[in-house]
Amino acid sequence: MSFMSLQVNEPGRSVLMTGNEAITRGAIEAGLSFAASYPGSPTSEILAHLGRLANEHNLYAEWSVNEKVAIEEAAAASFAGLRSLCIVKQNGLNVALDSLVSIAISGIKAGMVLVVGDDPGAHSSTNEEDSRLLSKVVHIPIFEPSTPEEAKQMTLAAYELSENLKLPVTLRCVTRISHASGNVTLGELQNVNKQAIFAKKDRYVTNAALHQLQEVKLAKIRQIADTLPFNTYKGPQNAKTVIIASGPSALYAPEAVNALGLDNEVGVLKLGMTWPLPEKFLLEHMKHAERVIFIEEIESFNEDNVMALAAQHISEIYPLEFYGQKSGHVTGPKGPGVGEMDPDKVKQSIARVLGVENNQAAEKPSLKLETPDVPVREMAFCAGCPHRASFWAMKSAVALDGRNAVVLGDIGCYSLALRRTGWALPQTMHAMGSSAGIANGLGKLERFGFKQPVIAVVGDSTFFHSTIPALVNARYTRANFLLVVLDNETTAMTGHQPHPGMSKNAMGEIVEGLQIEEVVKGLKLPVVIQDPYDVKGTTEVVYKLLQSEGTKVLVLSQACALVAAKASTRPRVYIDQEQCIGDSCGCNRFCSATFTCPATIWDPKKGKALIDEVVCNRCQVCVSLCPQGAIKVEGGANLDR
Amino acid sequence: MEQSKMPLRLRQEVMESGNCARCGLCVGLCPYIKTMNERIAFIHDCNREDGTCYRVCPRTPTNLSDLDKQVFGKERADHGLGNYLEILYARSLNKDLAQAGQYGGVVSTLAAYMVESGESQAAVLTKRQNNSPPTPCLARNREEVLSCSGSNYSASPTLSILNAGVRSGLEKLTIVGRPCQILGLRKMQALTERSEHNMSAKKVDFLIGLFCFWSLETEIYTYLRGKTGSARLLRMDIPQNYGVVTTENGEIQIPIDELRAFIRPTCQSCFDPTSEFADVSVGSTEYDPEWSTLIIRSTRGQEIVNKVCNAGHLETKPYPEERLPLLLNAVINKKKRVLESLSNGKGYEYLELSSDYTQGIEEGGVGR
Repeated sequence: MSFMSLQVNEPGRSVLMTGNEAITRGAIEAGLSFAASYPGSPTSEILAHLGRLANEHNLYAEWSVNEKVAIEEAAAASFAGLRSLCIVKQNGLNVALDSLVSIAISGIKAGMVLVVGDDPGAHSSTNEEDSRLLSKVVHIPIFEPSTPEEAKQMTLAAYELSENLKLPVTLRCVTRISHASGNVTLGELQNVNKQAIFAKKDRYVTNAALHQLQEVKLAKIRQIADTLPFNTYKGPQNAKTVIIASGPSALYAPEAVNALGLDNEVGVLKLGMTWPLPEKFLLEHMKHAERVIFIEEIESFNEDNVMALAAQHISEIYPLEFYGQKSGHVTGPKGPGVGEMDPDKVKQSIARVLGVENNQAAEKPSLKLETPDVPVREMAFCAGCPHRASFWAMKSAVALDGRNAVVLGDIGCYSLALRRTGWALPQTMHAMGSSAGIANGLGKLERFGFKQPVIAVVGDSTFFHSTIPALVNARYTRANFLLVVLDNETTAMTGHQPHPGMSKNAMGEIVEGLQIEEVVKGLKLPVVIQDPYDVKGTTEVVYKLLQSEGTKVLVLSQACALVAAKASTRPRVYIDQEQCIGDSCGCNRFCSATFTCPATIWDPKKGKALIDEVVCNRCQVCVSLCPQGAIKVEGGANLDR
Repeated sequence: MEQSKMPLRLRQEVMESGNCARCGLCVGLCPYIKTMNERIAFIHDCNREDGTCYRVCPRTPTNLSDLDKQVFGKERADHGLGNYLEILYARSLNKDLAQAGQYGGVVSTLAAYMVESGESQAAVLTKRQNNSPPTPCLARNREEVLSCSGSNYSASPTLSILNAGVRSGLEKLTIVGRPCQILGLRKMQALTERSEHNMSAKKVDFLIGLFCFWSLETEIYTYLRGKTGSARLLRMDIPQNYGVVTTENGEIQIPIDELRAFIRPTCQSCFDPTSEFADVSVGSTEYDPEWSTLIIRSTRGQEIVNKVCNAGHLETKPYPEERLPLLLNAVINKKKRVLESLSNGKGYEYLELSSDYTQGIEEGGVGR
């Protein structure tokens, strides 16, 4: 279960892999040449792996500026005859959607697979979103793996299908598949070195006339679906109750049936291709059933599609009852479709439908953690995170300005600022780059009496991803706002992937990074660069910029504390407990209770503050903020950061 | 004091209600109150019950009778000018200070003496900046005092530097301040039951109070920039019925009404135009630009003035008999206006005035 397993060339051997590793492996076995992605959980690891394997397997792997560009590049490789892969998360598909719709219409040449990581329960996302609905809009087929093994096999199958139909194919992978591990049977590693050529006769053009062709393609796939090994039925021949499930739910369902002692009564139909549906296969099993239970995550996608199919064939399958999210039977505690499924929720749902006793075992969780209880940790900026200093400075400047400045949040680690760690400063948060767009809007409301200053806060990666057009717009409309770019020199939230501002690419090559200020200067907008660790100076700069009219940009430049700490030779920071006067200080435990850096803690024995030196990343920001001057740097000097 | 959530009350009752006098004494006591461009604000609510910030604020409940007893050992006889020993005309005998200072250069001369003689380690002064808000200054020698000479007319929270100065180890400090600033310092000095922590005012041992009938909003600097353009502003004065701005290109007169538009509303609630709790108070004579009015209030004030005169830096002469009623009237009228607006339900009531004090004012001040 590691990167190493991706390099094992022993066909037939079974190796433990995560879902993401299995997809990576599958793509290489399928002869992948070109991969492009923008990072986002749960699928970030795939491109990172491909970047490391690039040389070995004659691949090109790229962290693109955003998902729209990534999918366009993957299409380009396909047009030129190379098998390509585009990896996005649910929200990323939204960004890429416009292009993807068109690419599906124009058609492609070599196999092109789109991996979409959905995040039921929104573990690492702003929201839950079911991307299957979008793939349906795009008119492309969807594979939904239930295990890492299946993820690999489906990747291979997706390339075959894509190339046969000249259509991109979606592999929808949820967090529990991407990050879970399972045995995967290895196939032959490919090392194709294919000649790319854009054939003179080829045309890839979006045209309404091609809609008809899309429907023809879908009809073909519908027939193929009936023969796919990924759609399975397990259970009694003529079960009266049939559960239809996909993804991880297709694993939970048999487990729940078994736990309820219903193995002889209930059958489970697993959909491996959830669009278009294997219609004959479904109808065949609905005919012998009296009731169908749908188990799936987020939207009632299968439920809606299968019920539509059933309605169309009502005379063949009547009588049949449907239970699922729509009937309210299949649900977790927060209501149908909200949050992840798990074996317990599935068991409860089935018991609810069948009116059976949910036996005692069901009351206990089917999974029990064998580890001791871990203390609850607050969602907070890391120790030494420059964002903490940046938000404290912005909060200070906003308070000193006194005109109720509106701070607009965006997507990145700094989304945490909505919580206590950022003093809940941002008042909005939407999609990548949205803060700048919203700032454009608020920045034009002066004629309606709007007098509040506006601050949009984006990270460096978000700046490149989707903030630049908003900045161009602002240059054009002279919108009144301050754009603060929290430049920590990496895409920190998703795992420190490189971006166009950095001097390294996905394959580890040295490249020329684009400076944010160069872009802003190119737009002829004022730009200031400031070190956020200098809280006082940053407060003054933000304050001054808020007093000026028009669009202006402040780059708060300081490396992510986690990256910096690795390379650091910074001196030790400690609290002189002789000088800290504890609760008799008017600071109200500022360092540990207000600034809340995880490294500053309260020493209950002495009634004074203390630095947890294991956690401290030695940024020295607290040194400048302690009103007693009790936080010291070893060697005395405030050394070069 | 029984109030709970004092810092919260300071924020709501003083800062957000526009009653902040901008003395600056609360700035730097804690990490939560900061100042920028003369404005003072809470960065974050500390949620503490008690707050030195609230206790020392010149705009929170203040008992004048208690303060009189604390500073002078007795209640006042003069309800116009407060406790004092002597009222004089004074002027500097140091040419450079006299020239750089306003009127008689008395404040600069006193402050320079304090730091030069070693009576004080430093003086907390206000340094004029060209056409933008002045900045606080810890002057440790004569040159630094000289660089701060001349009057400023905006409400600059210059005491913010005091807390930082004391924390850096300075003691025996001289303060030059507006009446509100002197009042705040005296309130802090009165907090005897509290620990030494953050009681910066206890390191202050000479208070030079300025006459101040009102101060101007920070926006005055934007206004002045409009008048002076890029010319460097050298000095500003408001002799009587007009303002005078001296730039490197010469003098510009400004109609008084235009200046009045910038008067801070909270100054209308101020009861103390002559720095009644200072050791000495200094102001214009409104008569003779060569001289300043000097009110010696405390024995400490007397002692220092004597020393400065004996050292040949300062000369004094009796206050012209016929001018005294004019000064007293101006002061009493201001106090009456405050009382009147309070009885009309307007204004901001923070003074705990005994009936003796109110009656004294209504009867015209002196002779009680």
